[in-house]
Amino acid sequence: MLTTATREDLTDESGEKRSSQSFWWRIKPSALLSSQSGPPLPVLWSSSCLLVLLLFFLLLLSSGPPPLLPPPPVFWSSSSSSSSSCLLVLLLFFLLLLSSGPPLPPVFWSSSSSSSSSCLLVLLLFFLLLLSSGPPPPPVFWSSSSSSSSSCLLVLLLFFLLLLSSGPPPLLPPPPVFWSSSSSSSSSCLLVLLLFFLLLLSSGPPPLLPPPPVFWSSSSSSSSSCLLVLLLFFLLLLSSGPPPPPVLWSSSSSCWGALDPHIAPLCSPSDFMVKVVEVADSSQQKTLRGHEAPVLSVTFDPKDEFLASASCDGSVVVWDIEEQTRVISWPLLKKTNDVSNATSLCRLAFQPSSGKFLAVPVETKVHLYERGSWEHAATLSDDLLTQPINVVSWSPCGRFLAAGAVGGSLMVWDVNSKLCVERQKHEKGFSVCSLAWHPSGRQVAYTDTEGCLGLLDGLTTSISAIDQAPTKKPAKDFNDLFDDDDDDQLMDEGLSDSHSPARKPATRDEDDDDLVIPSTGRVKNRGAILDDENSLDTASLRFGEDKPGDEEDAGRALGPVAPPPLLPSRPAYEGPLPSPPQKAFQPGSTPAHLTHRFMMWNSVGIVRGYNDEQDNAIDVEFHDSAVHHAMHLTNSLGHTMADISQEAVLLACPSTEELASKLQCLHFSSWDTNKEWMVDMPNGEDVKALCLGQGWAAVATSALMVRLFSIGGVQREVFSLPGPVVCMAGHGEQLLVVYHRATGFDGDQALGVQLLQLSRRRRRVLSGEPLPLSHKSYLSWLGFTGEGTPCFVDSEGVVRMLNRALANTWTPVCNTRDTCKSKSDHYWVVGVHENPQQLRCIPCKGSRYPPTLPRPALAILPFKLPLCQTTTEKGQMEEQFWRSALFHNHYCFLSTSGFEVDEDAQTRSEKEKQELLMKMFALSCRLEREFRCVELAELMTQNVVPLAIRYASRSRRMALAQRLSEIAMEKTIQSQEEEPEEEDEDLRYSGIRRSSEFGEAELAGGRRASRLQEEEAEFRGQRSAPSEEEEEETQTGTNVNPFAKETGSPVTPSVTAVGKAGRANPFKVSGAGKSSASAQPRATNILDSMTSGRKSAPLSGPAAKASKSPVLKPLAPRPKTKTQSTLLQMATSKTKKAEEDKEPPADLPKQAEAPPPASENQRPKTGFQLWLEENRKSITADGPDLDETEVIREAMGRFRALSAEERLAWTDRAKGHDGDAADGKKRKRAEEERSAAAAEDTAHDAKKKKPLESASRLSAFAFNQN
Amino acid sequence: MDPSEVEFLAEKELVKIVPNFSLDKIYLIGGDLGPFNPGLPVDVPLWLALNFKQRQKCRIIPPDWMDVEKLEEIRELEKREEAFTPVPSPYYMELTKLLLNHASDNIPKADEIRTLVKDIWDTRIAKLRLSADSFISQQEAHAKLDNLTLLEINTIREFLLNSLNCMFKLRSNLQAGSSGRTFTDY
Repeated sequence: MLTTATREDLTDESGEKRSSQSFWWRIKPSALLSSQSGPPLPVLWSSSCLLVLLLFFLLLLSSGPPPLLPPPPVFWSSSSSSSSSCLLVLLLFFLLLLSSGPPLPPVFWSSSSSSSSSCLLVLLLFFLLLLSSGPPPPPVFWSSSSSSSSSCLLVLLLFFLLLLSSGPPPLLPPPPVFWSSSSSSSSSCLLVLLLFFLLLLSSGPPPLLPPPPVFWSSSSSSSSSCLLVLLLFFLLLLSSGPPPPPVLWSSSSSCWGALDPHIAPLCSPSDFMVKVVEVADSSQQKTLRGHEAPVLSVTFDPKDEFLASASCDGSVVVWDIEEQTRVISWPLLKKTNDVSNATSLCRLAFQPSSGKFLAVPVETKVHLYERGSWEHAATLSDDLLTQPINVVSWSPCGRFLAAGAVGGSLMVWDVNSKLCVERQKHEKGFSVCSLAWHPSGRQVAYTDTEGCLGLLDGLTTSISAIDQAPTKKPAKDFNDLFDDDDDDQLMDEGLSDSHSPARKPATRDEDDDDLVIPSTGRVKNRGAILDDENSLDTASLRFGEDKPGDEEDAGRALGPVAPPPLLPSRPAYEGPLPSPPQKAFQPGSTPAHLTHRFMMWNSVGIVRGYNDEQDNAIDVEFHDSAVHHAMHLTNSLGHTMADISQEAVLLACPSTEELASKLQCLHFSSWDTNKEWMVDMPNGEDVKALCLGQGWAAVATSALMVRLFSIGGVQREVFSLPGPVVCMAGHGEQLLVVYHRATGFDGDQALGVQLLQLSRRRRRVLSGEPLPLSHKSYLSWLGFTGEGTPCFVDSEGVVRMLNRALANTWTPVCNTRDTCKSKSDHYWVVGVHENPQQLRCIPCKGSRYPPTLPRPALAILPFKLPLCQTTTEKGQMEEQFWRSALFHNHYCFLSTSGFEVDEDAQTRSEKEKQELLMKMFALSCRLEREFRCVELAELMTQNVVPLAIRYASRSRRMALAQRLSEIAMEKTIQSQEEEPEEEDEDLRYSGIRRSSEFGEAELAGGRRASRLQEEEAEFRGQRSAPSEEEEEETQTGTNVNPFAKETGSPVTPSVTAVGKAGRANPFKVSGAGKSSASAQPRATNILDSMTSGRKSAPLSGPAAKASKSPVLKPLAPRPKTKTQSTLLQMATSKTKKAEEDKEPPADLPKQAEAPPPASENQRPKTGFQLWLEENRKSITADGPDLDETEVIREAMGRFRALSAEERLAWTDRAKGHDGDAADGKKRKRAEEERSAAAAEDTAHDAKKKKPLESASRLSAFAFNQN
Repeated sequence: MDPSEVEFLAEKELVKIVPNFSLDKIYLIGGDLGPFNPGLPVDVPLWLALNFKQRQKCRIIPPDWMDVEKLEEIRELEKREEAFTPVPSPYYMELTKLLLNHASDNIPKADEIRTLVKDIWDTRIAKLRLSADSFISQQEAHAKLDNLTLLEINTIREFLLNSLNCMFKLRSNLQAGSSGRTFTDY
């Protein structure tokens, strides 16, 4: 069904009907024109006049409308018009008109003297002249009465010959005048006529039909020669086929109509009315009058009841065809006076089949009017449309409405949802003047005002699918649909029985909904793409790594799983949607699609990549120019990833079509001449992430593998990752890998993290725990702090750090977004340092990453744990405390992994922590929160608790002080228990060593025994006479009398005493004690057990052991007398008293045996001397009759026999004695304290009593002080 | 006071540098500086910054105000206002001069900044001369000038004082002469 007819259609169709459709004519010389169809009737008109008129009309018809129509001659209607001379003038006049611009003929052309022979000569020349300039006009005497003279005929003959020779003349010469003269029947004239017709015949069908000769109607026409001419004339007519219809016929451009198989409405712009014509028999003409201006367009409704028309008077009118009345009229359009001035063609359209709506283009909108009620049902509009709509057209299914506008815009609306589903622009911006849908609904053809035909393609298959759908059986029908569209739906279907009758109706409904949905597939796709682009725009920012190509991938990856939420067509799944997995990236790099980017910015240096027209290069710059000078490399391989360390620069490029993915290492710290190596990845394996550690490099590939290389290029281990890598970081011997653990939902990422220790003792610290990202965020930075604690930053700006002290959990330490001024500002993290606490980052205004130029400046952010109420003093201090605790974890880690630790810093940090605790304690005290005070005190180390006690007592909080003292006691006990444990471990190691040394299997019991020996050493040492049996028992692992062995190791007390010192004298030894001592005790303990173990074996003389005990003793008790003034001393002395009750015999002799303090000066200076001191007795026991030199010699021999370690230990000890002269007092005091403690250990019942007493005494003392 | 002395004073101003070496704190009479971590901005006095810069040991980060937009704003304000406007730094001229002479490669749009600062300087000096002129012509006893920098004061000081002295002499001579004349007349 055609909604708009083309111009040719119109003429062809209506051409047959022209006689009956006279109202088609704009100009109506109907009588004249109707006579045109056949040859003229001879008698009807005077022949010559007819000839002239014919010529006149031929002239009008040919060559289009002349610019100025000459007025017909006066005698046109005069009675004398039929005189031959007048005819001559007229002929000339027309000849003049016909020929465009020929040279003027000579004057005598029309003079009476023109027939003289000389004149003829001139004329001859004139014709020759004309020969070159196209067809000449015939001479004047053509029509003169003398033209029939023989000489004139000669000239005419020449003239025709001339015409013949010059090929078909572009312009046909008019027939000679004597055509219609009475003398035309003379034979010579006939000869000329004959020639004339031959000429006409030779030039093919003449564009203009020559008029029949004059004698056509003359009485003399029956002469044979005349008949010959007539015959020729008809031959001519026959050869030229039927005469063409007048040009005028098809030039009525403003006529417009709509055709329908039966009737045609026709409107005439000039007479303001619409006519309806039955096409079949052209009967039943109906005229619809009422428009007050030319009609713009008409349309039938599909049921033939109504007819709508738009007019220049601004009205759109619906007519009832039968009644020929106006049903309704809307003044919608702009008023204009003519069709040519109308802004819009305003082509109306009824919805096909049902005709439910009438679409009326009104400026930039389309109004829909409902059939019947003729109420304004809806308006379709589009914001992007700025120019008036010319034409609207319904899709065959009636669901979509296409519109073409003046500026060349083409829209397709979905009528149900009123949404614009397609929007196109004519590429040249010509106005669209007609639209037609392909019956399948997939294409729209359109034409523009410049005569171009266009096709709008790709309007999707969904329409056809929808169209077909209803015809199919229901069950099949949804299967098809779902197959087409939607996996989710299939899944959905799969869950419930898709063919169950109960289900069917519902699904049908969904189907219907689906059908209602406007979208064409293309548009659907576009929506999806748009959505993806949006999300990925941000994503590319976020990920910082997305390439345009990747985005598509991501979109595709997303597409099938997650239908874009835009589309309501998916009936079913409303649960969480999977989020697109984030791309692999290098922490500290900006997105790869930038032409100038940071490929890496870390604490070592900066790698910049330039990839523009002039240059594809990499700049490497080191923060510390001492590491290496800056480098400039040409990036011929197209590296996209980089890492930089103190040793090397690692670069990698993805694979291209011909080249494999490559890893390049610039190992600038190498001491040989080759500073560079390169490795190709296996086929199909792309480097996705890389990192450098100390002495190694790691590369994660698309094959889910991590490959390790040594920094020199040796391939090392390869292991698989459980998922696609996201990024990696290396530091020292630690490798941190983050990968996709699973699919995240609702914008979350499901990442897993592995932390590997690549040191000699390989182990996995974190084995794939989920990485705790903020909600709906992704990883944006991963790395280690300067001190080696793993750390990461997510896109929400939250920095999290591994808390090794809390079972390797992640603690948020900073939120960079808190410090951002505006929402679009971000901090681009480049490094984290724990000591000093620094978050090094680059502030980026309005973006997530910085530009390379101008060179961004580093900023330092403080850390802040997200604790509650940090505005209050309490909250602040709590935050500080926990932050301090967290940021000092690395000391612990470093020391356990065997690195040297800056002990000063460590003690300082410890002190800081305790100070904070003290402050918090004080604050709680002030707030009268005693319970809280106790809780805080529990966090304190044991040497700070007494301070707290003092504070509490000063502020007169007796109950608090009491409780605190209990805590203090618990702490001391704890520390005592902890120490043996530590020793135990040490001993285990030493035990192993020992057993290997001596080649004898040491029983665990034996080691335990030796530990116990240490604990109880002094106490037992102070006891009376050990026996040899006891010694033997010790050897077999029973725990009887270690004393004999202990005698051999005089330093033992000092070793264990260090911890005690901390406990015992908090006011003097603040803080440092425990940690600083940790290394020393261990070594000595080992030594002790070793020496004891060793000695016990070879030296079996009980006398020796017995005699050795005095050597030990002088060191132990001496300080007792010196340090009486301290609080500690009070405690110990009191303890002593308590002890005395139980063991007076042990204590008292010891006191008595105390040597004079002067012995300090005589302390042995070397390890050997020390050893000799201790072992002299045994030597002398072995050889009682040796003199001094022999003793020394013997001793030297034995000393040499000792293992190197032991000797070293002795030396150390000697030095310790030497250097720690100042510490001596302290140590000895501690030693003595130790002895007291040891005493308690054995006396089990006394154990509890003593700390209680001492603590209460502590508090009592504090009160006294107060 | 010599301009070089003013410059010397200006060299105490702190500027931010990014060192490319590592150094512990250095303890100086003027205060402790550092520690210097490569790549980490640190505040040092100008003299040290220039010294490091000359030895290619650091990159100087220009002060905040040394920015084309901000300077343009200041210039406009300076032109608009009758009185002296506050300058971004009491040593703005000296800092600009020193930094642009020694570290122009670290300062984006160095030439524009030079021009702008010179403009500001010229405007201010012109104002200063104008006010000095009106001060003298109106024979005021004292005047108050806010927001002048040391260098600006220094440039006008000598001339102003000398001219005031001269005028004083001339005036006193005139008075003395006239009075003397009158005196002699009597």
